[in-house]
Amino acid sequence: MSGPPSTPPPAESGPATESSPRKKHAFVTVGSTRFDALVQAVQTDAVLAALRTRGVSSLTVQGGEAVREFNAEQLQAATAGGARYGIDVEAWAYKPSLQEDYERADLVISHAGSGTILDVLRLRKPLVVIPNPSLLDNHQQELADALADLGHLKTCTVDTLAQTVESLDEASLVPFPQFDGSRFREMLDEEMGYPPEPPK
Amino acid sequence: MDLDLVSSCLCVCLAGILWRVSSVVLARHRKPRPTRRHSEHCHLAVFLGSGGHTSEALMLLSALDFDRYSPRTYVISEGDALSARKATALELSKAANPDNSTVRISSPISGYCGCLNRTCTASCLKGRLREPYTILTIPRARRVHQPIYTTPVTATRSLLACIYHVTLIPLVARTSFADVLVLNGPGTCFILCLAVLLNQILGIHSPRVVYVESFARVRSLSLSGKLLRPLVDRFVVQWPGLLEADRRGECLGWLV
Repeated sequence: MSGPPSTPPPAESGPATESSPRKKHAFVTVGSTRFDALVQAVQTDAVLAALRTRGVSSLTVQGGEAVREFNAEQLQAATAGGARYGIDVEAWAYKPSLQEDYERADLVISHAGSGTILDVLRLRKPLVVIPNPSLLDNHQQELADALADLGHLKTCTVDTLAQTVESLDEASLVPFPQFDGSRFREMLDEEMGYPPEPPK
Repeated sequence: MDLDLVSSCLCVCLAGILWRVSSVVLARHRKPRPTRRHSEHCHLAVFLGSGGHTSEALMLLSALDFDRYSPRTYVISEGDALSARKATALELSKAANPDNSTVRISSPISGYCGCLNRTCTASCLKGRLREPYTILTIPRARRVHQPIYTTPVTATRSLLACIYHVTLIPLVARTSFADVLVLNGPGTCFILCLAVLLNQILGIHSPRVVYVESFARVRSLSLSGKLLRPLVDRFVVQWPGLLEADRRGECLGWLV
């Protein structure tokens, strides 16, 4: 209810220019955790080139602390790196809600937090997740692998990000089911002794 | 001689308490379900454990009929203003659109109570909104990065607060804490469950406890899941690989 559903996608992808394919936008997020390796990886030539081959012309990076600690030089290097591949790069640390950024993106590259995964998959956006290997109790990896096995997303490491982005076949991704609250509702109603709802 | 008498009395008392505790813990598996009429209300309490736990818990709640599950008590940890905001956002959106079971709660609204800052407390929320819900704050059992040897102190403080709200107030005021308590982790929710267990031992009204393991748990239960599994009335997971055939619990598939 909080995100105005009427917000149109920003002009970035707006009027299609001549015969060229629609310009695409990629969004990278590390959530609230520290994941400098991912922030660095998306600045590498290999990943930028891979994004370019997908038609990506703008890239937004939510990089957390890594971006907060950027000095002017590093920030400039990041934009200059993108410019070499014709990609507008924008980076910032945090925002209260990333929903609008997910909505705007044609491709999301993310840490493997379950909240982010649910939000992005429910918007039916192509998603590449990179479980953070520096998290000790790494059940992120389990979730990423399980959802990748079911075909809902792709998972990789920072080292294989470029290949994964390049070879990503959006059509092969299996749509993730929308939220269905009825199972929890029915379970709780049953547990609390309510008679079952009459079938509609 | 007197000393013998005292110690044997103590032994008998201790044995009695142990028997009571064990019978309560064992009886949980057999506790019969209540029956309710269609129109009857059910007081629901939920623990919002911050971050992903809060998002998942509120997602689950968004599917419920709020006329039926009324009133509602949101239990949050000290200093977790964000969970309070998210709970209020859910309440507002349900009030505006009661039939909508797919309310988006990932982005909390701001400025709902006029204070606009992050230190907005539960009491300031309550004052502004006369909705049939309350937000209850309890101390954390353990803070992130807190050294392990100080945990018993903070956990005890947390337990006392839980006992105060779950056991003592209902006992004195002759009310009940809630009819059902929904938990999904992390640590502090175990403490809350201990207070519920105390109610059972004392034979006073106690909520049925439902635990829902996080969507993020695919192959191994969380610590709170492992601890709570033998204690709760209903233990639900979202991935089938989490349950061994002979242990309690059920898999309902993805719930969030």
